[in-house]
Formats: sequence, structure tokens, C-alpha cells
Amino acid sequence: MRLGNALKLACFGLWANKFRVLSAMMGIVIGLFAVIVLIAIAVGVKDTLLKQMGSLGAEQILVMPGRVLDSANGQKDFLSGITSVPSTLTYEDAKAVEAVPNVKSVIPQLETVSKAVYEEQNVQAVLVGSTHQYSRVQHADLAEGRFFTEEEQQSKKNVIVLGSNIHDALLGKAAEPQSGSTGIPAPQEKTWWQRALDSLMAGTVVSAEEKTLVGQKLTIGEKEYTVIGVLKPNATLGSSTDNNVIMPIETALANTDMKYLNKMIVEANSTEVIDEVDGAVFSAIKQNHKEIDFSVVKQDQMLGAIDNVTVILQVMLLGITAVALFISGTGIMNVMVMSVRERTREIGIRKAIGATTFEIMAQFFFETLLLCVIGGLFGTGLGYAFIELWNQYIEAFTLTLPLWAIQLALGSTVVIGGLFGIYPALKAARMKPSHALRFE
Amino acid sequence: MITLRRVQKAFQTGSSRQDILHSVDLRIDPGEYVAIMGKSGSGKSTLLNILGALDSADSGEYILAGKPVHKMRQSKRTALRNTEIGFVFQQFQLIPNLSVYQNVLLPLTYGRKKLGRKKARVLQLLEEVGLADKKKQKPSRLSGGEKQRAAIARALVNEPSILLADEPTGSLDEATTETILQLFDRVHQQGTTIVVITHDQEVADRAQRVIHLKDGALA
Repeated sequence: MRLGNALKLACFGLWANKFRVLSAMMGIVIGLFAVIVLIAIAVGVKDTLLKQMGSLGAEQILVMPGRVLDSANGQKDFLSGITSVPSTLTYEDAKAVEAVPNVKSVIPQLETVSKAVYEEQNVQAVLVGSTHQYSRVQHADLAEGRFFTEEEQQSKKNVIVLGSNIHDALLGKAAEPQSGSTGIPAPQEKTWWQRALDSLMAGTVVSAEEKTLVGQKLTIGEKEYTVIGVLKPNATLGSSTDNNVIMPIETALANTDMKYLNKMIVEANSTEVIDEVDGAVFSAIKQNHKEIDFSVVKQDQMLGAIDNVTVILQVMLLGITAVALFISGTGIMNVMVMSVRERTREIGIRKAIGATTFEIMAQFFFETLLLCVIGGLFGTGLGYAFIELWNQYIEAFTLTLPLWAIQLALGSTVVIGGLFGIYPALKAARMKPSHALRFE
Repeated sequence: MITLRRVQKAFQTGSSRQDILHSVDLRIDPGEYVAIMGKSGSGKSTLLNILGALDSADSGEYILAGKPVHKMRQSKRTALRNTEIGFVFQQFQLIPNLSVYQNVLLPLTYGRKKLGRKKARVLQLLEEVGLADKKKQKPSRLSGGEKQRAAIARALVNEPSILLADEPTGSLDEATTETILQLFDRVHQQGTTIVVITHDQEVADRAQRVIHLKDGALA
């Protein structure tokens, strides 16, 4: 025989016992749902980390204060190997790096927290001093207005570009961002319906034509600045621009007490010269420093560090997945063993009228296998639907479902069905027809 | 057709051994209609299980249509049950989750015979036993007589040479019993060998020969 026949009989068997099948399937549906969602969370977290930490391009080098120690495997240890020292990097260091051969551009960044005031509104903001290339390197797109030019930078113009949260807070569109432990607003953006809901609760009407601060003047410290642009929301962990007020670095050095750089991004002419530039940048900065109190980091070193973090996530995920699938499989096996017992007479009848041991075994094996595969499909579908809904309505971070996760989930259901289907199938096949027919 | 020679069967229950059949010799000719009578525990059902290749004898020979059943492996016995033997049980033994049609079709599903038009064969049999209009019903919706007629249709669907019936009217009223017996008469007239186990003298009287079994031996 005729595996096709056994498969057909298994389908009949499942259909004839559909209520039992549904209850048996719940375990595998929930198990697979959990697996799919957990994988999506893990991959989503990894992607988010890569996107945020690894936003550094392959031809870019990050210069940061402090020293990143090497771990046992020779890689930079970004988890516990960062020494916490005040920055001694200066704009002069950036100028020195600009002179290094094969360096295309240098984007230094100064940062401090300051109060921005517009009419009656005031808000704590992250004040950033950088070059005209900041928006390109930081992937900060403009919602309106423009970014400052190189000329405005060189001539120390009092112009600023606002992050979306700061812009909204100063216009009173949203409540002032919650201050964190550092007094910095949380990088959180409100959706249109949340803003509409806030307005309704406040008894106001949302205007179709929203007001903008572009062209208006703000006060930061003692100085007055003209708003020339507003950035699009860019709610990424750690490097969000939503709560920033960006001004030319020359302006920041002249108008504030900011002196030391938070970081510096160096762009090489190409990826081919990146190692050469890496060493030259280190040497150029080292000449200005008595000791090595800074780090020069390439993209591959950064990504290596992220990989180290995500390996922990993946191992944890693997463990949870294995446990979930084992529990599901055991549940299915128990239900099928019960089913075999309940259907003892049926097995006796089938054997009496000509079903072979192999045919009975194949039927019950396929029943378990189909149960697992159908349950797996449902679980995967539910997981997929959950991920879609999550990504549509929850903006905290994006869940990512890779194709391999679906292949793994469906593959594992076949393995579970195969492994846990053997015992019930053998139990059914070994029954003596004369005994099975007498079973009460 | 059927020859049993010195067939013995015993069951072991814990440490005690219970002899069920003692050196049974039996010959049933092709097309014969035989009734086997005996008290409860006389070994009737055990004998029927051996005749139906559902169980094997501890010793002795069983020849069916010239084939030594006692020497056959399990797979050969299974094939024999499917092609040569039809079973009718007292408790009907229909699969509750399958329709009448699906129950009758089942032996063809496992069948080795190449019956070209399986569906037509099932419908023809359902017509003959008067269940054509109930083919989609589940067994639980049928009366006792209807269930037994469905079981007979299932037993006959593979055109077996022997019909083995274990108390086929034991759960039926008098009128329904008569219907079933008439059906057996018709099957017998078509040339099928019938072996019926019964307590009922009226059922036994329809057979050509009555065999009495007492304490595991033919009386």
C-alpha cells in the first residue's frame, strides 16, 4: 500500500473526530504562535540594534571618548569594556583628522542639555552642535524647512533645526516630553490619533492646517536663534534626533560653554582604504593627546559587538522554542494515545475487514502528522497576523519575521508530528483484531 | 471449502490455563449454510474467530479453499479476511463517525480486489439491503435492523466466499430478525457459504446443518 490511501484515511479520521482534533491542535497552535512571535521579537530587536548601533556605514569610522578594551576573543568589548572618562576630544582633533589622507569628511558633534523657550512654552532639549553634514550622517530627514548650510556654519549664524518632539512641545501640540533621569525628553512620538485623542480630551479641535515654528525665533540660554527646519520623527533607541536642537558647531562653540566632542564620525573615501584611514585617524588624534583616552571604531567592530549581544538572545530563544515544541509534541502524543484507546473497536473492525498492520500504523501516524502540520499552519498564521497587527499599531519597535522562521516553524511541526506520532501509531498497529473487537 | 483438523485453543489467565477448544474437526462444503449452537462459554466465538482468521489455533490445521491458514503469516491472513471472508457481528461493529456509505465502502478501501466501480458496487448493495436512502446517515441515526443490514452490506461488498455471522440477530426484535434471515437466505442462494453462530433455534432452523458445540468440542 498505498501511502496515499493511508493519507486519505487519516484525513477522514481527522475529519470524523474534528472536535477532538481541535482540542489536540490547540497545544501546537499556541506553541507555534509563541515560536513565531518570539523569533520575530528576537530578530526585531537584533535589527533595531543593528539599525541604531550599526547605522555607521562601512566606509565610516566612529571616534568616541574613553577607551574600548578588547575582550578575550580580541574583539572590542562594547558591553563591559568601555571605560567611562570625560571627553577630551576637541574640534581641533576633528580639524587634524580632516587633514588625514583619504578622509572624505569629518562630522564632529557637541552635546549638552539646555532649555529652549518659545513664547510661553519652554522645554528641555538636547543641544547639538555639528556640521552641515549632520542630517545626512544621522539619517535625519527634514519634515519642513531646510538644514543649515556650510556658509551658515562657517559664519556662526544663529540658526537651528528642531527635532520633532521639541517642535511639537514648543507649539503645545503635545505635553512636554517626560523627563528621564538625565532630564532629557523621552524619544517618543505621538501618532495622529493619539494627538487627536489628546486634543479631544482637552476640549480642543485639531486643525487641519497645523502651525509651524519654521521662521520663528527661540531663546536658548541668553541667545536668540531662528528656526530654519524641523526634522521628521526618528524614534530610534540611543540615537534619536526627536529631542534635539541642532545648530552649527561654530555657533555652539561661540555661544555655549560646550568644548569637548561627544563623538566624531569620519568618512573615508572608500571601504578599500578604511583600515589605512583607521590607523591614520588614531595617530592624528593621538598627537594631540597625552594618553589614549579615546577610541576609534569601525563598522565591523560595532557589528561584531551587536552579534555578541544577539547570540545570547538567540540561545535563549532556541531554548524556549525547544521547550514549547516539546510540550506541544507531548500534548499531541497524549491525545493521540487517548484517541487510539477510544478507537480500539474501530481499529479492530478495520483489521477484521482487511486493514494491514502497516495500514493502521500509517493511518494513525499520518493523523498525528497532519494534526501537527495543520496546527503548525494555524499557529504560524496567527503569529503572522499578530506581527502584522503589532507593526501596524505598536510603534515601540518593529517585529521582523524572516522567511527562515516560517520554514523552521513548519519544519519543526513535521519533525514533532513524525517523532510523537510513532508511539500512538505502533500502539494502534499492534492490537489484535479479536481483542480489539471485544473492547468495551 | 473449510476444513478444521484437531484444532485446539486455550487462553492463559494469570497462572491458570483455560482450554476453550479441544481437538475440533470440522468440514464445511462450498455454498453450505451452517449454524453453530452452544451455551455461553462453549467456545463458539473462539471457533468463529479462528474460522475468520482473526485468531489462530494453538495447534491443528485450518484449510480454507485449499490454503493452509494455520501456516499463514499475519499479512496473508489479513489479505484472506479482506478477500474471502465477510463478518457480521451481534453489535453490528459499524464505525460511528463514518456514514453508512463510508462504512460499506471500507473493505474496498483496503481491498486487494480490483473492483473497477467501487462506488456503484456500494450503491447496488445498499439498494439490495434497502438502505439506499440512508447512505449519508451516521450509524447512530439507524435502527438496530438497519444497522445490521448496513453491516451485512459491508460484509458482502468484497464478494466474499464465506459469510461469518456471530449472533447476527441477538440484538434484534422478531420482525427485524426475519428480515435479516431473509437477507441471509438470499445471500446463500447466490452461492455464498454461511456460518452462523446463534443461541436462537429459529435462526438455526434456517441453516442446512446445525453443529452443536459443548465444552469446546463438537457434540
